[in-house]
Amino acid sequence: MKILKFFILIFISVSLGLLSRYLGLNNHQSLAVSIFLISMLGTLFFWDFRLSFVFIGTSILLITRTIDLDNLISFASLEVILFLVGMMVLVGMLKESGFFAWIVSLILRIKNLTARKFIIAVSVISALLACAIDEVTSIIFVVAAVLEICDYFEVEPTPFIIISILATNIGSSGTVLGNPVGILIASKSGLTFEDFIFKAFPIMVLSLGVTILLVIYWYRRVLNNMDRMMREFKANDILIKLISVPPERQLKVGLAIFGTTLLFLALHHRLELFWNLEANTLLLTIPLVSAGFIMIWKWRKARLYIERDVEWWTLLFFMLLFAQAGTLKYTGTTDVIANKISYLVGHNVSILTTFILWISAFGSSILDNVVLVAAFIPVVQSMEGFGFSLQPLWWALLFGGCFGGNITIVGSTANIVALGILEKEKKIKINFFRWFSIGFVVALITTLIVWVSLLWLPIYH
Amino acid sequence: MKVKEIMTKKVITIKMHMSAKEALAIMLKTRISGLPVVDFTGKLVGMFTGSAILTSALPSYVDKVGGFVYEENPKAITKRLQDLEKIRINKLMEKEVITVNQDTKLSEAARIMLTHKIRRLPVLNKAGELVGIVVRKDIIKTFAKGMGI
Repeated sequence: MKILKFFILIFISVSLGLLSRYLGLNNHQSLAVSIFLISMLGTLFFWDFRLSFVFIGTSILLITRTIDLDNLISFASLEVILFLVGMMVLVGMLKESGFFAWIVSLILRIKNLTARKFIIAVSVISALLACAIDEVTSIIFVVAAVLEICDYFEVEPTPFIIISILATNIGSSGTVLGNPVGILIASKSGLTFEDFIFKAFPIMVLSLGVTILLVIYWYRRVLNNMDRMMREFKANDILIKLISVPPERQLKVGLAIFGTTLLFLALHHRLELFWNLEANTLLLTIPLVSAGFIMIWKWRKARLYIERDVEWWTLLFFMLLFAQAGTLKYTGTTDVIANKISYLVGHNVSILTTFILWISAFGSSILDNVVLVAAFIPVVQSMEGFGFSLQPLWWALLFGGCFGGNITIVGSTANIVALGILEKEKKIKINFFRWFSIGFVVALITTLIVWVSLLWLPIYH
Repeated sequence: MKVKEIMTKKVITIKMHMSAKEALAIMLKTRISGLPVVDFTGKLVGMFTGSAILTSALPSYVDKVGGFVYEENPKAITKRLQDLEKIRINKLMEKEVITVNQDTKLSEAARIMLTHKIRRLPVLNKAGELVGIVVRKDIIKTFAKGMGI
């Protein structure tokens, strides 16, 4: 079965590559398209083999002189990879210091807790944690907290896990840190942390608010039941006992480093202007500086942070995937595609924004959003040559890539990780339609919010 | 010195179809924290250790959440421990067992234990049958003897 799937994948990718010649692509361009499609579909059908696909594919691109070594290295976006390495070390230190338990405990120690307050707290923590670190790390902590609490009150955790995933995917669009697609877009577009705070964060908050109202209505029966159980178990006393985390010295130092990192990230654009540095130099280096200080502070564990907390498997995949996407640009493939799309949308930026938003939303419901965004970035960059303002296109790509993850059960890594834990811990397997019924509605409404904002609010133009 | 000279020949084994609770009872009774698991023919198929009990009692995400505070007596852990009665040990045992043969040198056995972070090594004969077990304590005792302690 696997071998058959493998041959189908190769057949589809090569056929599409050959068909692309009818769009006017040359040999190198068709090969670049075929190899990128193999990586894209390989991620979809052979998740465990994705690194093998990009290793072999990238080597073929070099051997066939489709791209040269210098450009391949340049397109591999080392700056994005180093940013992610720095953040992973920072998160590793925070995890060890008990930061996440402390954050969860702070917010859940709400007076007179009710099911509705609980759902709001879980959604807000999920979204803000995803904003501040990254969605995959944050969802593990939120799921752990939800399972502990639902166990105590003897209620089914599934609806609360679903809500936390929906909020996490929405929250991950709020800052540069929330999702690898955020830093990828920032690095390629020149958008700053400040731009994200003023333009992405408000849309994220609005979408989260609407989602909370929707899920409160959707799960009203579940919430009524939880209210009953909470009254029975005298909610607050036990919750405070359950999750009281005293802030120890290590946590305080960890918090200071994390807070300083966030402060400098927020100010990076101002500091770059002040010191006359190239755009986003500090955005990309601040996590590295923090990681450097952490490894001085915890020098005995420095090697452990790098070996255990940095996900080299994922980062190597990203590097080579970015290089393959860059090859599409290098060979001029994306210019041809951009030209066709530009003609199709009648050179209208509103139609193009709509197109990118909805295609990336639906696309990332099936494909990994990093793969999709990596493919779209060179196309968006090529649009500048056709006189388009790129700003709404970047935001469309960001929100489409993040919010689309809510559509299906495999829409984002956060979904897969959280539902995997639920299945392992509670033997509960959510079927496609149970997820889709709420996920699709949330994704549709939140993407509509983005669509209206991008088309009608002048700050996005 | 070779492994066969210091190994324990009377090996206490458990059968793979036993429940985890039964296996735990044997571990407590014999005061051995890791037992070889054999199939119906007596062939070694796994190792069942105290770590398997802890792994099945604690949530699967413990290694990912770092410092996390749990309830004093979490219901989930109590339930998981009760479930040990229903779980067969072949679901929990370590299936990739590292073994040595009777002629393996003692220092090589010590190296294997150190690099694989294990405390006991099942010993197999040429036919692949379990003929003994060597534990870390026995190796240290032998080394100590050599030093005249």
